Amino acid sequence: MSAMIEIPEFIVPFIPLIRGVVGLALIGAIFLGAMGAVWIERKLSGDIQQRYGPMRVGKYGLLQLVADAIKLFTKEDLMPRNADKLLFNNAPIFMMSSVFLMLVAIPVGAIFVNGVEYPLAVAEMDISILYIEAMSAISIFGIFMIAYGSNNKYSLLGAFRNFARMVGYEVPLGITIISVVVMTGSLNIVEIAQAQGLLWNIFLQPLGFIIFFVALMADMGRLPFDQNESEEELVAGWVTEYSGMRFGLGFFAEYIHMILGSFLVALLFLGGWNVPAFVSNNAILGLIAPTGFLLAKTALVLCTIVMMRWAVPRYRIDQVVDLSWKRLLPLSLVNLVWAVGLGLYLGV
Amino acid sequence: MTGIIDSYIPVAIFLAVGLIMPPVTMFLVKQLSPRSRAANKYTTYESGSIPTGTARIQFNVEYYLYAIAFVLFDIEVLFLYPWATVYKGHGITTIAVVEMLVFVFILLFGYLYLWKKEALTWVK
Repeated sequence: MSAMIEIPEFIVPFIPLIRGVVGLALIGAIFLGAMGAVWIERKLSGDIQQRYGPMRVGKYGLLQLVADAIKLFTKEDLMPRNADKLLFNNAPIFMMSSVFLMLVAIPVGAIFVNGVEYPLAVAEMDISILYIEAMSAISIFGIFMIAYGSNNKYSLLGAFRNFARMVGYEVPLGITIISVVVMTGSLNIVEIAQAQGLLWNIFLQPLGFIIFFVALMADMGRLPFDQNESEEELVAGWVTEYSGMRFGLGFFAEYIHMILGSFLVALLFLGGWNVPAFVSNNAILGLIAPTGFLLAKTALVLCTIVMMRWAVPRYRIDQVVDLSWKRLLPLSLVNLVWAVGLGLYLGV
Repeated sequence: MTGIIDSYIPVAIFLAVGLIMPPVTMFLVKQLSPRSRAANKYTTYESGSIPTGTARIQFNVEYYLYAIAFVLFDIEVLFLYPWATVYKGHGITTIAVVEMLVFVFILLFGYLYLWKKEALTWVK
């Protein structure tokens, strides 16, 4: 909060608390967003395969997800006899906490009041991009707990593949994030987004964008990088023994992860919420346009990720590992050197 | 105006929600869902055949080598984070950039060594 809006003195110590509680609305919003993402994915997949997709429940099948939720809520919660109770039961906590904690630091837009900018992030911290990456990595614990806990060979194979993939792609992902950070000199994602102005990072570092996008898709386990699930060989992999709402929670966590990943792409490379000054100075447009712009870009990234699913066949696990260690890692170092040079050329 | 703790109060609130939400959901499911008992229902799925042995067996050492390489490079990345924020505009630009390049190049030799030793090849 800046000094432009007058806040009574006695409220000031409670501002973080208020932000946290009000921010809980974001959790509801992100759940709705995840439902929307599932619907978009099913509709787009239908279109690409020349079928209709969901269309019976509600107009354009919009209520399909509500029907699915009711079904998941009324399904028996099944746990195999050999499963490890502790790991099997508590894995969704890790997956959900992981995405919620990511959500805290991601700015979902900004409003301009009298030309002063207020980013809409629940928590603003100096190291938010590092924090987001760390929280994003927690979800692998959930996946491994599910797979190890369910004592199923398919699940364990899937989890090991997941692990091999994650360790490969975390490194190029981290290096590309650093390449973005060196342009700004700040680990605060709000400042990174603001610093781009109208000259987006995708134009300054096209190679970095490609590496980041590929590594992020692998990080989220989206096709063509879903070797941990691969229905045809591993029977859904790590979720083989997961059913009902327990599966639903993990599934939702994955979709929320995908949405937040799209936010990251939009914020780090596609210019965030920055709009030309004449738009942000407008009293009404300043309230809506920046957030709308960011959400539109996020939706675009999301649709691209969904369409990639049907455009590229799934890689074998050795190809995936080769791609990360032998291609993306050296390329990301090249991009880092490029970014440092560019940062010095534009900066000092 | 705001201390470093302040930005983590919302984090604590969200963490609490993340910890509470899945058990509450599962409690609701327990109330709503039907229950039936059949012994075969609780066997592990293995494409219809009766599962043999446990799934917790020893795995290929390949995974281990990748993990070692990962730790190596992830620590490299970790060192670059603080560097990236200070190398510019503090009057140490030249030395900071040179030092980073030296650091990355030393690790690059380790990377080439791993590649030559075929530690980064999946099938041996």
